Amino acid sequence: MIELNNITKTFPGVKSLDAVTFEAKAGEIHALLGENGAGKSTLIKTIAGAYIPEEGEIIFDGTTRNWESPKQAKDAGIHVIYQELMLFPELSVADNIFIGKEPRTRFGQIDYKQMHMQAREILDRLGHVLAPSETVKNLTVADQQMVEIAKALVGDTKLLVLDEPTAITSGREAAVLFERVNNLKEQGVCIIYISHRLEEIFEIADRVTVLKDGQYVGTKNITDIDKDRLVGMMVGRELSDIYPTKSKRADDVPVLTAHDLSLTPRVKSVSFELFPGEIVGLAGMVGSGRSEVAHALFGSMKRDAGSVTVNGAPYNTPTPKKSIELGIGFLTEDRKEQGLLPLLDAAANITAPGLGEISTNAIISRDKEFVIAENEIQRFAIAIPGPRSDVWNLSGGNQQKILFARWARVCHRVLILDEPTRGVDVGAKVEIYKMIRRLAGEGIAILVISSELQEVVGLSSRVLVMREGVMTGELSGQDVNEKAIMRLATLQDAA
Amino acid sequence: MTTFGSTIAERSPGLVDVTVQKWALPAIFCGLLIFATVISPSFLSVSNFQNVMTQAAPLMIVVIGQTFVILVRGLDLSVASLMATVAVIATAFNTQDNTMIPVIFISAILLCTIVGFINGWLVTKRNVSPFLATLAMMIVLQGLRFYYTQGAPAGVLPEGFRHLGTGKYLGIPANIIACILLFVFLTFVLEKTVFGRKIFIVGGNPTSADLVGINSHNVTITCYIICSIMAGIAGLLLVGFVGTVDNFVGRGYELDSIVAAVIGGVALSGGKGKLLGAILGALILVVLFNIVIIVGLPVQAQLVIKGVIIIGAAAFFARKTRG
Repeated sequence: MIELNNITKTFPGVKSLDAVTFEAKAGEIHALLGENGAGKSTLIKTIAGAYIPEEGEIIFDGTTRNWESPKQAKDAGIHVIYQELMLFPELSVADNIFIGKEPRTRFGQIDYKQMHMQAREILDRLGHVLAPSETVKNLTVADQQMVEIAKALVGDTKLLVLDEPTAITSGREAAVLFERVNNLKEQGVCIIYISHRLEEIFEIADRVTVLKDGQYVGTKNITDIDKDRLVGMMVGRELSDIYPTKSKRADDVPVLTAHDLSLTPRVKSVSFELFPGEIVGLAGMVGSGRSEVAHALFGSMKRDAGSVTVNGAPYNTPTPKKSIELGIGFLTEDRKEQGLLPLLDAAANITAPGLGEISTNAIISRDKEFVIAENEIQRFAIAIPGPRSDVWNLSGGNQQKILFARWARVCHRVLILDEPTRGVDVGAKVEIYKMIRRLAGEGIAILVISSELQEVVGLSSRVLVMREGVMTGELSGQDVNEKAIMRLATLQDAA
Repeated sequence: MTTFGSTIAERSPGLVDVTVQKWALPAIFCGLLIFATVISPSFLSVSNFQNVMTQAAPLMIVVIGQTFVILVRGLDLSVASLMATVAVIATAFNTQDNTMIPVIFISAILLCTIVGFINGWLVTKRNVSPFLATLAMMIVLQGLRFYYTQGAPAGVLPEGFRHLGTGKYLGIPANIIACILLFVFLTFVLEKTVFGRKIFIVGGNPTSADLVGINSHNVTITCYIICSIMAGIAGLLLVGFVGTVDNFVGRGYELDSIVAAVIGGVALSGGKGKLLGAILGALILVVLFNIVIIVGLPVQAQLVIKGVIIIGAAAFFARKTRG
């Protein structure tokens, strides 16, 4: 049905796809697997015509078709369902299914009777019971997803791409989804299925293709492979020398302990300890509750239960202000939304959590501020003309370093880093790793949250793994490897 | 693989752009003054200039308050209604006795503090849009005022208020002095103090503000209170200037103050702007109205001009902020 030959797509600083080959047949469910950053999304967007590759060819339905726009791909019968549903919540199921393609009467009005009839046919074809007249916002997320799939069946869809469809559904709903997807497969539709969850790949897929770091690793029949070998294909690589040497505990007395931390429904009774000078990784899939643990510790989200001690003293009603005063820093994952102050200069960005330090009697000394900022800029080698410079036009790496400097200043006990290198090029990554290692060397306890397994393994001497809000395991020493983490993060029987 | 090194080459503003940005407002203001003087040479006479400034003073004070609210991503439509309510309070005691001034002053500030707090509380803790919260406040205040005055406000002011409104010290009208003092003080607060920095942080990114330990709700509520108190002071000055009270003292100031702030480069999206710009915006607005009268255009032309300026200013600053 579709063949991709030697597709290469680069972005500034990143070779997102490197001569990737991929092929899927009609009437098959083909799983696409890989870690975050492996190139899955880029591949899908290339198939859908949203990205135009620099090299390689796309053969669809027997002819070479190098799309120039998503519309061409769509007209040819390719339909992609992204993770975020794109529905109009106030409109009916039928309205949504036929949006932009409504059947018309002779007078050019929308033929609602016809539309509802056809909507029912499509839902029947899916084997899903749903009233076409129901308003979409009243549906469960799983039913909304069915509407999304039904949309794909208007017209002649030959290839359907599902991007992590079970990320938003529960186990029971997922079973229904699999049944519907199987129905479509039997009707000859080619389905490309992206997921992080290994067990469901084995449940639903016929074949699986693995990508890693933008490169094609291999394609296997699902019957010819087991979970272990699949994990091996995904992560099987040497740790390169981009990581600093592992840090060691500076002290055997924990600087922070968390006991039975809960934040319903995202975090369920999580306990751990952090020691001075130790870098601890917190791994798990997106949505496993990692970030929420950090927010619950820092006080930026309100937890329902749990007791925390800092330096042996109880710290149970956290607020960001109190945490900062205690020497806890939190570099959040979303640089633009939760971190950067784009309208202020570099100095103000760096000093934001420590206004007390640059002021006397509530009056800010810009001189003091500039001295502090200048120091940080030099200490972390931030490529910026000076403390008065704007930050909004800096590269992602330099923006991240500014935020890193912000938190490195105020944290003298614990630093929590949520996705510290997301959207940052490789060079900046290495520098940020060095910065992290340096702070650990100064005796600060560091908790690194990351979706990149390689990063977690490369940095941490101990790793906590979460899955669906529960801590499924703790690894240390030789046990810290991608395979072990992946198993704890994905498999239900691993706890 | 959804994010990449975000090295999208966004053009930073060049030297020319920065210069234009810095000097556009003063240039426009001077241009207007010259234009007005050419049409009517008496415009730049000391007496007329003082006259214009005296008219502008209450608006400028309201604009200062409005700027604080706009900086934290809000706006306040209740300022004019609050001005009129304060004016009614000023005459409520119906006495010319100056000893009542402190009582009037304190009750006015108290009312303003409460009004500002409620506005800010609704916007932050209840998540009501600033537009709706302050619109509702405007209506509530109007209702209370009408109820109290039974539609026909009467009463006289203490003498001292007339001095505030029309008197002069060292040859400078008292309300201009008040305006300058407030402007200098609040510019200092905004640009030099920790609280001022917090305003810019909250306005620029409220989520980040909370994460760096700044209570964005408290900062926002304080800004609404400052805005209301400024409106109260402006109301007292204006009633002192006019000498009598009616139900609509300060009518139209809610929109004029927002317009002036926008002309002055205060971003409605928050986190960006200077009091000096906002004040210049108010002056430009007042001088323009004056020119309309000098030229002999019908008063209605003011509205057309006002509208055109808003669009012009909005387009000018939108172009700039996109670099």
